[in-house]
Amino acid sequence: MQQVKLRDIRVLMMAVNFIGVLFTTVSVAATTEWICSRYEARDFLDTVHAIPVQPRMNVIVVTALYLILVAVFIAQERYVNQTGRIYLLLVLEFMISAVIVGVMNFNYNGLFFLVFTGVMYHAKGDKGKYLVICLALISFLLTDSKLLSINFDLYSINDYFNFYDASVQQYLLGAYNLLNSLNIILFIIYCILMIQQQRGTIDEVNLLYEEIRKTNQDLENANHQLKEYAKITERMGETRERNRLAREIHDTLGHTLTGISVGIDACIAMVELAPREAKNHLERISAVARNGLLDIRRSVNELKPDALERLGLESSITKMITDMKSVTDMQIFFDCRIKPLKFDQDEESAIYRVIQESLTNAMRHGKASRVRIVMERQEDTAVLTINDNGIGCSEIKNGFGTKHIMERIGMLNGTVEFKSENGFSVIARIPIRWGEEYD
Amino acid sequence: MSRKKKISIAAGLFGILALLAGGLIYQSNRVVVLEVGIFAGSNWDVANANSYVIIDKAVEKFEAEHTNVKVHYYSGIRKEDYSEWFSRQVLRGREPDVFMVLGEDFNQFAEIGIMKDLEPLMMADQDFQKESYYSTALQAGQYGGRQYALPYETVPTLMFVNKSLLNREGLSVPDNDWTWDDLYQICRQITKDRDGDGLLDQFGTYNYGWTEAVYSNGAELFDENGTESYFNDERVTEAVRFTKQITDLNQRQKVSKDDFDSGNVAFMPLPFTEYRTYKTYPYKIKKYTKFQWDCITLPAGPEGGNTSMINTLLMGISNHTEEEQLAWEFLKLLTYDEEIQMDLFRYSQGVSVLREVTTSRETGEILQADMEKNEKFIDNNLVSDVIENGVVTPKFPKYADAIAMADNEINRIIEDDDNIDNSMRILQRQIGKYLRR
Repeated sequence: MQQVKLRDIRVLMMAVNFIGVLFTTVSVAATTEWICSRYEARDFLDTVHAIPVQPRMNVIVVTALYLILVAVFIAQERYVNQTGRIYLLLVLEFMISAVIVGVMNFNYNGLFFLVFTGVMYHAKGDKGKYLVICLALISFLLTDSKLLSINFDLYSINDYFNFYDASVQQYLLGAYNLLNSLNIILFIIYCILMIQQQRGTIDEVNLLYEEIRKTNQDLENANHQLKEYAKITERMGETRERNRLAREIHDTLGHTLTGISVGIDACIAMVELAPREAKNHLERISAVARNGLLDIRRSVNELKPDALERLGLESSITKMITDMKSVTDMQIFFDCRIKPLKFDQDEESAIYRVIQESLTNAMRHGKASRVRIVMERQEDTAVLTINDNGIGCSEIKNGFGTKHIMERIGMLNGTVEFKSENGFSVIARIPIRWGEEYD
Repeated sequence: MSRKKKISIAAGLFGILALLAGGLIYQSNRVVVLEVGIFAGSNWDVANANSYVIIDKAVEKFEAEHTNVKVHYYSGIRKEDYSEWFSRQVLRGREPDVFMVLGEDFNQFAEIGIMKDLEPLMMADQDFQKESYYSTALQAGQYGGRQYALPYETVPTLMFVNKSLLNREGLSVPDNDWTWDDLYQICRQITKDRDGDGLLDQFGTYNYGWTEAVYSNGAELFDENGTESYFNDERVTEAVRFTKQITDLNQRQKVSKDDFDSGNVAFMPLPFTEYRTYKTYPYKIKKYTKFQWDCITLPAGPEGGNTSMINTLLMGISNHTEEEQLAWEFLKLLTYDEEIQMDLFRYSQGVSVLREVTTSRETGEILQADMEKNEKFIDNNLVSDVIENGVVTPKFPKYADAIAMADNEINRIIEDDDNIDNSMRILQRQIGKYLRR
């Protein structure tokens, strides 16, 4: 709808400009004849600063050029969506207009308004359009005939009008000014319509923006929900783990204890009647209990990292020592010289495992009765020393958990040393990532 | 490419070739018509029976040199109609390629761009030396410092002397290097009441005005561009004072043309053409028949020489001519060809604008040939000097109005007993104000 209206105004401007151009050239040509027929040519020449070269020819030339301009206009309508061609046609329109205005010695330069509207109509939103608009604007301002006639010899239509009586002069000037004003009024109407249309576009943009904002909000909500879901999933994982442990304890310890208690009941009944058989039976029960113990140990092992997480490193170690003391009569000393004893999770885990492994080794292989654990700091290194009074070993064999220890410390860029004099010693050096945690 | 397309391209190419060939054939056989604007009769308002002789000779010569060119002119346009006729052609865009320009038209025509700037053509032409012209004649065709027209014929102003009257008073004709003092002494001596009716009836000068005095006192009234005037210059004031002295001798009596024609006036400034026309046969019997007369230079002021104003008939080229080079060739033929210029002495009354031609022996012989046996024509070398040192009126748009204003006021000063110095200062202010406006 708007598009059609804008084009209609352009067509109307085309017509008004044609009348303006024709009026300018024809009135000059007609006045020339009028002057000549009255034999006042010489007097007239005294009143002008310049004259057109061939007034009649100007009418023909200008009309022909204007027809080309109309053809360009029609071509513009046809290639409305082909940016390259449109620009070529707009430049052509500008150049033809400039030639027409030049032929008329700038006595009518309203044509540049037509070029304006063309540019605004066809080059919406392109950066190039500002260039063309500037060009047209500058052309219009600079081609004011009064301004130009200061520096150039240009004929003035007013000189021709002035030749007539005052009354005729008024009509001619009136008509001339009317055409000029009409052209400008049409141009202003065109601009207003253009602005209105652009406002419509802005509303559309706002609507789209609102939609995008909503979609964004939805997305954020979905993201939030996803995080919640992840948390729930995590908790479910914990629950499942707990259930698994409960089942394991029930399956292994429950089964073993049940077996043992039933076995012992049978032994109680049997011990007096058949002591030998009871003894055999007890031996089987002992094996079951030992197997059960193994199972429990496995389960507890799986539980321990949790303990480490729950209690912190120092407490976990203390607990482990207490637990160990309660089943054996081994003496264990823990000397912690780093306060507070807190490292990254992977470091803590490694330290915990190294102590656990070393204690197991001391008990199982070294037959030690006394173990000393020292945790101290030497410059940027945490040094863990575990020393027992066991039998040690003449050569350190892999497979006694030492490989395991080396791997774990190696992962922390630390070093491990094993010594077998005065019992067995494990010395692990772990570079501390201080700065980050302790400042 | 389809067969149809190929055929149409071939046809298009053939068409273009045919057009080109046709254009070439047309161009080589085309007859170029060079339009010339001239008027009948003399530019100097003297009788002339041989209006078109020189132009016809020139056309014949030109057409012989350029086989495909025809030169055309409208005959029968009188001088008084010429300006209007030419202006009409200009307005309609049909002005001739080469044309004569009247002195009073030149400024305005150059100003509104009718005349072609000849400087590039002059520069480009190797055979053309502008120094061959009298510098004053050349100067007449300059506007705003550029050459818009070339001189065709020039006419100096001389002083007419009534020999009979001087002889009667026991005086001889002054020499050609005479001065204001000489003029004043003679005028004082001969201005008298001869019939005793209480009114003067014999006078010294007729038509000798302040401008003649200014020009012969080495003064200028305006600068070249018409932005400055010099009316309070001592030399100008001196000239006005002298004119007043001469005029005062007449005791407020007006000297008329009748007084002059009846042989009662001794001196009158006179164009060379008048001298040429009425001094020789056949027009000799028509004017100034009651007395013996001759011509000499104008008297020199204390600061100047025996100089006077020269008038030049100009010719130019249309700014919109399509045959620029041909137009230039023809203009050059008329104004620069020695043969054609020599014809001016044979068939016209003015003086050639070429120094060589005017000072040649042949010219002297032509001039003398028409004279009666016992009389001698004014020496052509003297005429040449007068032209060489002549005064050309400045060319600027406001000149006509400014000089009219000045003439009006100075004539009033000469009539009334005013304080001349003071009045000239006031005039200078007025003219200066007008020029700056």
